[in-house]
Amino acid sequence: MTFLSHLINGISLGSVYAIIALGYTMVYGIAKMLNFAHGDVIMVGAYICFFAVATYGLPPIVGVLLAMVVCTALGMLIERLAYKPLRQAPSLAVLITAIGVSYFLQNGAQLLWSANNKMFPNFLNFGGKTGLSLFDGQLTISWTAIVTVVACVVIMIALTLFTGKTRIGKAMRACSEDKGAAELMGINVNTTISVTFAIGSALAAIAGVLLCSAYPILVPTTGSMPGIKAFTAAVFGGIGSIPGALLGGVLLGVIEIFAKAYISTQLSDAIVFAVLIIVLLVKPTGLLGKQIREKV
Amino acid sequence: MATMLKVDNINVYYGAIHAVKDVSFHVDEGEVVTLIGANGAGKSTILKTVSGMLRTKTGSIEFVGENISHTEAHKLVYKGLAHVPEGRRIFQQMTVLENLEMGAYIHKNPTKEELEDIFERFPRLKERRSQIAGTLSGGEQQMLAMGRALISHPKLLMLDEPSMGLAPILVEQIFDIIKELHKAGTTILLVEQNAEMALKVADRAYVLETGSVAMSGTGAELATSDAIKKAYLGG
Ligand SMILES: Nc1ncnc2c1ncn2[C@@H]1O[C@H](COP(=O)(O)OP(=O)(O)OP(=O)(O)O)[C@@H](O)[C@H]1O
Ligand SMILES: [Mg+2]
Repeated sequence: MTFLSHLINGISLGSVYAIIALGYTMVYGIAKMLNFAHGDVIMVGAYICFFAVATYGLPPIVGVLLAMVVCTALGMLIERLAYKPLRQAPSLAVLITAIGVSYFLQNGAQLLWSANNKMFPNFLNFGGKTGLSLFDGQLTISWTAIVTVVACVVIMIALTLFTGKTRIGKAMRACSEDKGAAELMGINVNTTISVTFAIGSALAAIAGVLLCSAYPILVPTTGSMPGIKAFTAAVFGGIGSIPGALLGGVLLGVIEIFAKAYISTQLSDAIVFAVLIIVLLVKPTGLLGKQIREKV
Repeated sequence: MATMLKVDNINVYYGAIHAVKDVSFHVDEGEVVTLIGANGAGKSTILKTVSGMLRTKTGSIEFVGENISHTEAHKLVYKGLAHVPEGRRIFQQMTVLENLEMGAYIHKNPTKEELEDIFERFPRLKERRSQIAGTLSGGEQQMLAMGRALISHPKLLMLDEPSMGLAPILVEQIFDIIKELHKAGTTILLVEQNAEMALKVADRAYVLETGSVAMSGTGAELATSDAIKKAYLGG
């Protein structure tokens, strides 16, 4: 029974990683850059929701929507101000800028909201219960875990439909493959990149709220470790691939929780990264990564 | 006849490399005009400058009477300019149908008639409509690239070496299609290394040498010129 409970916790944590990893993977796919500030957008989303609900007493759903709106704007602003001017710059310059943006957000949050812990409220208790009790109470699945997994599945399906069926979604795929050719089709590449950042950041807001619902201590560095893990998950699953982000995220979450439970809490992160390294040695493009074919 | 495209004294650089030098030419409505020249003469650079991928330092480019030398590439597509770039650049990981949909991006979605038109011209594409474009043969990829450009009903179709890397029989086919399009009234600017074929279909031609126009005339005139015969037609 404890095994089952660890598994559920792992899948739930992995679903959060997957939602964050999607932001990394989509932005990487189109802008060919690692947006290291993505993790910190999560933190901003969590703070916005925290203040909306805990300080201003707004309903949780309004808090989530508000966080999404703010993060969407923030993501687009970051892209416009920090990354767009570097479209032609070497990727190292872009990477350093992204790290700079990440610190800027963390320090900004510290300045605005202080470095003190905030206890994120648990929205999800129905009739005084915070979870679903099974097997005469031997196994409790928290509502947070259920909502997280459901949210992840819904987001995956929505994104798959979006990129596969809609005009903008297809334009995004076209831009990921060949920006010059996309431009010759009449696609506004800058707008498309901006839309991608908007979607990734809105997802980051959702991830932030879900993450803090499960691990309620909120500080300005809250997003940084999950951000790195989700980036790992994206690489693990195959960067640029949406199903890869899901698979990588969930596997990473499960490995992390199992390592914590059965091996060592201190070593869990080291184990996670060891697994990543082994996978990349065997399959450098990640589990579902596309073989990049050389252009002729 | 009305002038469709008027390129006036353009100079294009890649950093310090002066790739196109004082080039002027024009394309009238309904004409097929070809730019021929050796590797590195600047043919592709000129097309990229017309379609807004590169910028000229001097002069102007007029398309249907409007100066477009500062217009962004994606906006030019809406004005009726279609550019089939060198190397086809189809979207390899998308299906044939999705590639055509991207071609019709400016019309939101291709209508049934538009798709049927393309499939009628390129029956192969119809059979392969659900296939991933990267798995098409070279000739099929070229047909897709041309179909993708034609579906937007361009006023001017610019083709950059459509015969590149194709077997002789496919080259014939591509040029037959160019002739048909010409007959149907499409205005075409054709860049080719295959001077012989290009001069046959073209109303007029410009010969480029290291970034400058060295000669111009009707297709027939140039095809019989001794200098051209020596340099490009192997005789
Ligand atoms: N991206 C680039 N950077 C620097 N120089 C370039 C670049 N692209 C082309 N050139 C140079 O500009 C000149 C013209 O190139 P262009 O591609 O226009 O030639 P082309 O006539 O199309 O040749 P080909 O028949 O081989 O396609 C060449 O000397 C080439 O080396
Ligand atoms: Mg060329």
